[in-house]
Amino acid sequence: MSEVNEQIFSVSEITKSIKFILESSFEKISIEGEISNFKAHSSGHWYFSLKDEGAVINCTMWKGVNNFVFFTPEDGMKVIVTGRLTVYAPRGSYQIDVRTMKPAGVGELQAAFERLKKKLYEEGLFDEQHKKPIPYFPKKIALITSSEGAAVRDMISVAERRYPLVELLIVPTKVQGSDAAKEIVKNLDKINLLQDIDIVILARGGGSIEDLWPFNEEIVARAIFNSKIPVITGIGHEVDFTIADFVSDLRAPTPSVAMELATPDQEELKNFVTENSSTISELIDNLINEYKSEIEDYLNSYTFKYPLENVRRFSQQLDTINLRVNNLVEKKVLSYNSKLSLISKTLEGYDLQKSLKKGFALIKQNSKFVTRKNNFNKSEPHTIQFYDGEVKI
Amino acid sequence: MSKKKSLISFEDKLKRLEAITEKLESGEVDLEQSIVLFEEGVKLSKECISILNKAELKITTLQKELNNISINDED
Repeated sequence: MSEVNEQIFSVSEITKSIKFILESSFEKISIEGEISNFKAHSSGHWYFSLKDEGAVINCTMWKGVNNFVFFTPEDGMKVIVTGRLTVYAPRGSYQIDVRTMKPAGVGELQAAFERLKKKLYEEGLFDEQHKKPIPYFPKKIALITSSEGAAVRDMISVAERRYPLVELLIVPTKVQGSDAAKEIVKNLDKINLLQDIDIVILARGGGSIEDLWPFNEEIVARAIFNSKIPVITGIGHEVDFTIADFVSDLRAPTPSVAMELATPDQEELKNFVTENSSTISELIDNLINEYKSEIEDYLNSYTFKYPLENVRRFSQQLDTINLRVNNLVEKKVLSYNSKLSLISKTLEGYDLQKSLKKGFALIKQNSKFVTRKNNFNKSEPHTIQFYDGEVKI
Repeated sequence: MSKKKSLISFEDKLKRLEAITEKLESGEVDLEQSIVLFEEGVKLSKECISILNKAELKITTLQKELNNISINDED
């Protein structure tokens, strides 16, 4: 009877056997499939399925392991995972415990890039109206970049050469690998809490599309968009365009150029100062010369050139006036004199009449009054003048 | 003097210098005022050049304590 030989397992026993057989058979396997139902749990673990046309298999990727995945997986993305098969006895299910994950091809990243670009473009995150102006004279620039490597050194030397007045705040940040995106976001948010940062430069030297992938992550794009401080990106080389470049306020082809765009050139500033200084010197010279020639004009004028001439002219005028005044005065004096003599004659006559009235008489000879006996000539005719008339003898 | 200097930023000095040039160019200022502006402009020019020549790049690294400002640190 076969019944005798029949071994009866408990559920746990058979599951244990299945678990042993399956897990030892699929200890290290690689699977290619399309991601669906991707869920990054807040605990840090990832839960998703891989599928193709005919089958689905559940996958888990634990926190700490998924840190090494440089991109954020999304539904529809074709990936190749490696890991081992595990059986979860309480549920009677199996799943792949994923150790590594990579895109099934570069085309997958490109496709993810294009999907995100289209989505953010349609949301308006790249719109010109959101671009903040870059201040021309920044006092403090924050650099979100790796503290090691050529990028930070290049930026420092550009700042030193162009505009040493600026202060650089280096914010050491992981710019490669899966947690790079999170760290970039964290530091960008942090810098936005500082009050004195004028520009943020988000920079990274050249690398493969995988190396630059953090700058193609949606969370980075949104953090740049939300930054109140203007952000300049300088990521990779000239040919590299990342999502971060599209959303930033200004895109530079390299980190060095990013610093050039962020700072004025001190040689240009010096030229500006020198030009202004020589312009004002010229202007003031011209102005002074104008006034000088005006003064010279005055000095060359008749009055200033022949000052005595004027004095002479004036003195001549004075003389003329003087003469006229003198003449006038003389005339006046003369007329007073004649008036005076007339008056005195009248006065004299007035005295004479008085005497005649009293009875005195006057003797005239040769029409002259004879006032002394010696002057009287008996033989000559003479006239006696009385008060009431003359008698000729 | 250095105290007075620090009151006006480099940027403001440049702007003032430019404004002085424009004012003098306008020709609307009398001689006395022009000379006052000219002297100020020459002083500003010297200061600007000297500020640039003396400038030394200041570099700081975001400090540990600043690093500890947590926003919504998930770790």
